[in-house]
Amino acid sequence: MKISRLSAWFTIGIVAVFYVVPMLAMTRFAFQRIPVIKLSWGNVFQKWTIQPIIDSFGSPDFQRAASLSITLAIATALTTIALLLPTMTFAHLGSPRTRRFIEISAVLPFVVPAIALVVGFAGAFRDTLPILIRSSFGLVPLYVITALPFTHRTLENGLAALDIRTLVNASRSLGASWWRTIAFVIAPNMRASIATASFLAFTVVLGEFTIASLLLKNTLPLYLSYAQGSNPQGTFGLGIVLVVISTVFVAMSNRFGKKVRS
Amino acid sequence: MNRNIEFRDVAKSFGAVRALVNFAIRVDEGELVTLLGPSGCGKSTALRVAAGFEVCDSGDVLIGGTSVVALPASKRGIGMVFQNYSLFPHLTVHENLEFGMKVRKMSRSQRTARVGELLDLVRLAGLAERYPHQISGGQQQRVALARALAIEPQVLLLDEPLSALDATVRVEVREEIRRIQRTSGIATVFVTHDQEEALAISDRICVMCDGRVEQIATPHVVYRSPATPFVARFVGKVNDLAVEMTASSRVRLRGHALEFSVPQSEMQSGEARLLIRPEDIRVTSSAGGEGLQGRVDGLQFGGATTSLDVAIAGTNHVVRVSDSTRAMQFGIGDTVSLAFDMERALLTRE
Repeated sequence: MKISRLSAWFTIGIVAVFYVVPMLAMTRFAFQRIPVIKLSWGNVFQKWTIQPIIDSFGSPDFQRAASLSITLAIATALTTIALLLPTMTFAHLGSPRTRRFIEISAVLPFVVPAIALVVGFAGAFRDTLPILIRSSFGLVPLYVITALPFTHRTLENGLAALDIRTLVNASRSLGASWWRTIAFVIAPNMRASIATASFLAFTVVLGEFTIASLLLKNTLPLYLSYAQGSNPQGTFGLGIVLVVISTVFVAMSNRFGKKVRS
Repeated sequence: MNRNIEFRDVAKSFGAVRALVNFAIRVDEGELVTLLGPSGCGKSTALRVAAGFEVCDSGDVLIGGTSVVALPASKRGIGMVFQNYSLFPHLTVHENLEFGMKVRKMSRSQRTARVGELLDLVRLAGLAERYPHQISGGQQQRVALARALAIEPQVLLLDEPLSALDATVRVEVREEIRRIQRTSGIATVFVTHDQEEALAISDRICVMCDGRVEQIATPHVVYRSPATPFVARFVGKVNDLAVEMTASSRVRLRGHALEFSVPQSEMQSGEARLLIRPEDIRVTSSAGGEGLQGRVDGLQFGGATTSLDVAIAGTNHVVRVSDSTRAMQFGIGDTVSLAFDMERALLTRE
């Protein structure tokens, strides 16, 4: 018992070192105007500033990239819920085989590399529906797929906690249409799961680099990559802000998740 | 318009399993008919077909004389109460009752007035602002019943609404359902596997087995004059004894010499089963008794009645006797005489 507890703390310690040390180094580099070779215990609390990040916020390129990423994140979250909630509700009402099929499909993005997804997507739609390639919103379906392993699991947990069949039948027997049933009976009882899935989709979009890069869309991760040469401190500062935002979202997801389980 | 429901030769299969076979029954306005049978006999399927949650393979379902099989569940005008608690957890009792009325676009004042009436009807006037998790299981089922009635349905379908409740609450809610059904005068189909519940609540009982109707009759007739051996065995307790026909109107228990007269039987000879209810066997002390002799093997005190398990001397038969006036006199090990009321017995080859 004591050994297992010790090994748990050891693991946490190792993870913390690998996670916290780079974060601290990043933070110092972004917000302290002292070159690392001149750093000493005497000046460790001196010359801290948030000016680099203020400069970044003022950059039109950053504003465009951030605005695009946030718009895509919201669109991805909304599309995910609009597609998944009815589909999974029907799957719960139907045969267990359908549910298993959806479950297996939902984890495929873990094993299909992003580059394969983009190549397939571009090959399929370049000639048939070129707007999907040209428009930045063409990223949304790809982001929905990328976030699927997380969003599906979250919604699945929420649906499993409800007696979907009885609620749907009760609503239908009271005269409600399918649309009304999903919007006014299922969705309100899935608030926590929907919020969690949305946060996770949002976080995935804010951090996604490969797909946007291959399809040449200037999202926030791409801006951070390109701007490193001209404003390295600012981009590291923005990186820290993104990590904080993502951590807050994950924490909120966790909080909602606990609510769902209870 | 006559508010009734009629199943006309409804058939429904799930793969190779035939859940309903030429199911035909009619429930008139003001009547409560119970579908009674063991698990898997098709009673809930019949209800789900009527509600529109399942599509029948053939046959027709008519509500108020109009076929509804082509209509979706939301357009059938039925009220339904489910076995599982079906109140919407995110809505208060008041909001749950309003749900169907909002779908029908009733005005706020109409809705409020109707909710008040319904809460009075189910005697839950003080609980309007509570959420489902803040009220008991029995109260939840009463609210579910009120919610089903809120839309003024033509027919009420109750799918084992009491099975999730504990014994005391079950009886209370059962009586409440009957009172409300009588008050509203609505044609009601009630599904249960609990024979006591069916006998207590129904105007008529439809006993089902393997998707087929075995008997439709009043509770008294179903109990006293079962149409088939299955009904006799399923509804109430019955002693099921192996007998041999010695002549067209004589039988004797297998392994016993004593013969009984059977009032009417088409069977001429051979092996048969004699089905007789515990209360149709009279028990007396062996000193003055004639006929079958036995020894008391078990005794169950049930309050109003006492049951004895009597091993018939010289055979492997053990019969249960439920004699409210005499059984109390005997104890385990006593020797007794048994007299079968053959007028009430059922003789069958099965």
